[in-house]
Amino acid sequence: MLTLQSYLTLGAIIFSIGVIGIVINRKNIIIIMMCTELLLIAVNFNFIAFSYFNQDLAGQIFVFFILTVAAAEAAIGLAILVALYRNKKTIDVQELKSLRN
Amino acid sequence: MIKELIFYSFSSVLICSSLAVVLFRNPVYSAVSLILSFITSGFLWLLLEAEFLAIVLILVYVGAVMVLFLFVIMMLNINEEKEKLSFNSIAPFAVFIGLIIVIELITIIWINSNQFSNSSTVIQQSSQMGNTLLLGTELFTNYILDFEIAGFILLLAIIVAISLTLRPRKNLKTQVTSEQINVDPKKRMKLIDMKETK
Repeated sequence: MLTLQSYLTLGAIIFSIGVIGIVINRKNIIIIMMCTELLLIAVNFNFIAFSYFNQDLAGQIFVFFILTVAAAEAAIGLAILVALYRNKKTIDVQELKSLRN
Repeated sequence: MIKELIFYSFSSVLICSSLAVVLFRNPVYSAVSLILSFITSGFLWLLLEAEFLAIVLILVYVGAVMVLFLFVIMMLNINEEKEKLSFNSIAPFAVFIGLIIVIELITIIWINSNQFSNSSTVIQQSSQMGNTLLLGTELFTNYILDFEIAGFILLLAIIVAISLTLRPRKNLKTQVTSEQINVDPKKRMKLIDMKETK
């Protein structure tokens, strides 16, 4: 018997994997952006599950807009990443500390 | 019964591929695992009768966003000799905090499960109208302003991405529009009288 709780639990697990991935990463910013996509997928899971179990279409509309904004965010983030690599020659998280002190 | 089987197998695939995104050292492997998790969550959305969004997820994310990610990984040449530890020093503590987050969320979700129990028996939505038709009707009537704002956000993303990465060449011969507009005709053209010659 699939209930709403099953889907919410799945969303919670994916969300936590995304949070852990952002925090423990030391290599580069690209993996951090991929973890952001994981977080958005988890939130979309919750929206679609509530939309299905309450028979309300507003959740799916919201997921539509989240997908739009996430695509725009990925495009702008990768553009920032390319500009950063041109100036700094690295995208290592540990090296990007020019704003420190 | 078959739905439960599909749900549990696909969600275990989804969790494993999400862990692979985090744990792989090579970003190309992470990107491919993220493609797998997008496709799997698209299939899981099909179980929830969100057919249009499942197809949009696969088309937009796997077809456009992840290809963009792979292009950037290809162009940036980040596979140097970075074979040191790929996680930082606070990783065990962060994993501990993450496990606490998971346990808290699952506890909160399951502790009041009678709160959701009336909605767990789902009446089928009107199947003579497809999901795409319903979504489109809703989107173009009640949410038309939001739809146009979404289009504007996409336009803004195009402009920002191009203007961030556009780097003009040094000795590029282009028009200088302000000089062209501000030119004075009297300085450019001189009228002279000429005698009529033969």
